[in-house]
Amino acid sequence: MDVKNKISRRKFLSLSLVGIGGISLLSLGALNKKPISKWRFFTENEVLILDALVEQIIPTDESMGARDAGATNFIDKQLMGPYQQFQKDYRDGLKLLQQSSMEKFNSKFEELNWENQTILLKLIDKDELKHSHWEKGADKKFFSMVIRHTMQSFYGSPKHGGNKNNVSYKMLKLDTPIIIGQNRYK
Amino acid sequence: MNINSRYKTISLILSIILLFGLVGFGSFYTYWNSASPYKTCASCHEIELRVESHAHSSHQNLTCKDCHGTALSNGFHSLKEKGMMVVNHVRKVNTENIRMNEEQILDVMNNCERCHTNEFAKWKLGGHSMTYSHVFLNEKHNTTEQINFDCLRCHGMFNSKSVDEIVEPLKNKGPWKLKDKELMHRSAIPCMACHQIHQEGKPVSQPDYSNPQEAFYKRKAEKPSLTFFHRHEKININVVDLPKLKLTDNNREVAVSDDPIMRNCIQCHAPNAAHQAGTSDDRTPRGVHEGLSCMACHEPHSNDARNSCKKCHPPMSNCKLDVTQMNTTFKDKNSKNDIHFVSCTDCHKANDPKLKQKMMKITRI
Ligand code: HEC
Ligand code: HEC
Ligand code: HEC
Ligand code: HEC
Ligand code: HEC
Ligand code: HEC
Ligand code: HEC
Repeated sequence: MDVKNKISRRKFLSLSLVGIGGISLLSLGALNKKPISKWRFFTENEVLILDALVEQIIPTDESMGARDAGATNFIDKQLMGPYQQFQKDYRDGLKLLQQSSMEKFNSKFEELNWENQTILLKLIDKDELKHSHWEKGADKKFFSMVIRHTMQSFYGSPKHGGNKNNVSYKMLKLDTPIIIGQNRYK
Repeated sequence: MNINSRYKTISLILSIILLFGLVGFGSFYTYWNSASPYKTCASCHEIELRVESHAHSSHQNLTCKDCHGTALSNGFHSLKEKGMMVVNHVRKVNTENIRMNEEQILDVMNNCERCHTNEFAKWKLGGHSMTYSHVFLNEKHNTTEQINFDCLRCHGMFNSKSVDEIVEPLKNKGPWKLKDKELMHRSAIPCMACHQIHQEGKPVSQPDYSNPQEAFYKRKAEKPSLTFFHRHEKININVVDLPKLKLTDNNREVAVSDDPIMRNCIQCHAPNAAHQAGTSDDRTPRGVHEGLSCMACHEPHSNDARNSCKKCHPPMSNCKLDVTQMNTTFKDKNSKNDIHFVSCTDCHKANDPKLKQKMMKITRI
């Protein structure tokens, strides 16, 4: 073993402690098990609403729409990461969207037919639900935030949780990863 | 109580505590390694998604430790890795995208050999088991093409370092050396360059003979793990989602096989950026074999193609010859008729009318 690879006794001790501590800590987690959910932030109900919402933004045609391309998964993932500041906006926004849908159509948003979902979203987009639960302007603000994030999910890298199977790259006929050989000077 | 006996008592108490600690830890450790991963590994939400993906993969009947070992089996490395996860967990660093480093990938790979002895041995025999010393200390290659960051795209893809931290000097003149001697024998194209394990799949099972959809010719041979590791994004992309090559040969569009597996091969065995046939490392079949996939001839792990001819060719071909004896690189390494590109005109005169007829037949395949 050369000198560089040798670990000092102190480093070994501290790391072993971290390791053992880690394993013991893990055991605490094992005691209060919750059922495993695919989702990091959203509840199952919120997922249903958001899936329907993003699908309205990028509907399925010859290629996948935003729902199947994982927009909800992207937003869910980012909300636990760099987008933590939007957590409350989503929690409130989805709740209010559901309430508006119940008031206007007496049905859950995700259960509305396509046309009625569009009608409701148009009202939101025109900021016309202010009179109800939405604070002044908040409906439109919420909707444009979801549009923004849905676009990011669809056109960004699949590693962030959206753009499943490179769907948008394929739509745009972008080769990813690009096929290009090494330089071969002859 | 004199000092000496107080000393004894303290050390007695200490050893008892230590003993209890060890017994406690030992039994916990045993429990941990035998319990269901849903109770153990997944109690760390960082790992939850991997437990999910494993539960739906072709390896679902295996336990995590069949491949990853236990927290202690890889000794220090593994302790450090899991320890850091706890530290990051507490610090609320988003560790969902945790990836193993190259050493850990290779540790896991050593476990593949236990069950897939055959594939492993063939891989070892073939070109893809090349090591870092093969990649970076090749004098002919280094004098013609200066080592640069892009080399790691196709060999050494799991290395998180940049190329100047791996080899020096980055010049056309040597001698070159690897900065870390351990890299000399490290594999540069491990199994995971082409296989992703945490991927939806089914374990082998007996076909359901009562279901007509399960008739032999309708059964699909699935290799869901088949992917390509995209170094830049640090993700494996399924072969069906990889781009299909569009290749031109003097402005003529070459017919390229639709086989998704070939899309893996041509990520590395690729033509130049303009996608001109025969440039760079392109081996896309043209000529008599145009439209064939690499897999029609090459074995996936040993890469051997020598036994493939008889899959298609009768002992005497259309040309009334044993193809293996014809003048291609198959027979003679130095032949100018490369087996990948050999065409009728390599042997026949181009304006031979009988040949023209024959070529019409062939290009219609
Ligand atoms: C058949 C071998 C095998 C089994 C069984 C297995 N894994 Fe993996 N695991 C791998 C490989 C190989 C990788 C590298 C990425 C890939 O191929 O998916 C990996 C990656 C991971 C990663 C992420 C690190 C990375 O580099 O992507 C985690 C976390 C993980 N496994 C946890 C588990 C857990 C928890 C279990 C048990 C429920 C498990 N694995 C079972 C082989 C295995
Ligand atoms: C404990 C034994 C065991 C270990 C360890 C193991 N495998 Fe497997 N593997 C199996 C079994 C069993 C199957 C299912 C048989 C089949 O589908 O052909 C399988 C199937 C596969 C398949 C074909 C199905 C697919 O998903 O594409 C691949 C590829 C594969 N293993 C690769 C690996 C790699 C790479 C490793 C090391 C990270 C590994 N295996 C480790 C037992 C194992
Ligand atoms: C696009 C993927 C790709 C890149 C980038 C790449 N290689 Fe390779 N390399 C290959 C392939 C494919 C082969 C096998 C070529 C063959 O036998 O036809 C190979 C073979 C080699 C060999 C074996 C000897 C030879 O010349 O065939 C060496 C050495 C090597 N590469 C070094 C490098 C170095 C150094 C770099 C960076 C300057 C590099 N490669 C960049 C794909 C790549
Ligand atoms: C260059 C890419 C590549 C590498 C590297 C590679 N494989 Fe494969 N592997 C393939 C391909 C392609 C197939 C599928 C062949 C087919 O379906 O015709 C395959 C199939 C398999 C299978 C399924 C075999 C069967 O008949 O069901 C196993 C198991 C396997 N590989 C294990 C490994 C192991 C273990 C390693 C590392 C020692 C490895 N592979 C490295 C490309 C690769
Ligand atoms: C990750 C990059 C990569 C991928 C993917 C890849 N190869 Fe290779 N292949 C290489 C490199 C690099 C070499 C050169 C090895 C050497 O010269 O030691 C090579 C060598 C070979 C050889 C020559 C083998 C020998 O023993 O000299 C064959 C044949 C081959 N590859 C076929 C394939 C086929 C078929 C596939 C698809 C299933 C494939 N390769 C996928 C990088 C790759
Ligand atoms: C018609 C059968 C056939 C097909 C199709 C085929 N190969 Fe080959 N290949 C061979 C034979 C035979 C050899 C060995 C020839 C030799 O010894 O020079 C070979 C050799 C190679 C080599 C070693 C270097 C060389 O040129 O001798 C590489 C790399 C290679 N093939 C890659 C590929 C790739 C990549 C594909 C698909 C794009 C492919 N081959 C398709 C038959 C085939
Ligand atoms: C997947 C099927 C397939 C495989 C495998 C294959 N060939 Fe062919 N080969 C063909 C077809 C199709 C033709 C053109 C049709 C014909 O024979 O007229 C052809 C034509 C040829 C020719 C032109 C002369 C002739 O008689 O047509 C040669 C030479 C040849 N092959 C050599 C080889 C060698 C050597 C191998 C093994 C390394 C091989 N082939 C493997 C399908 C294959």
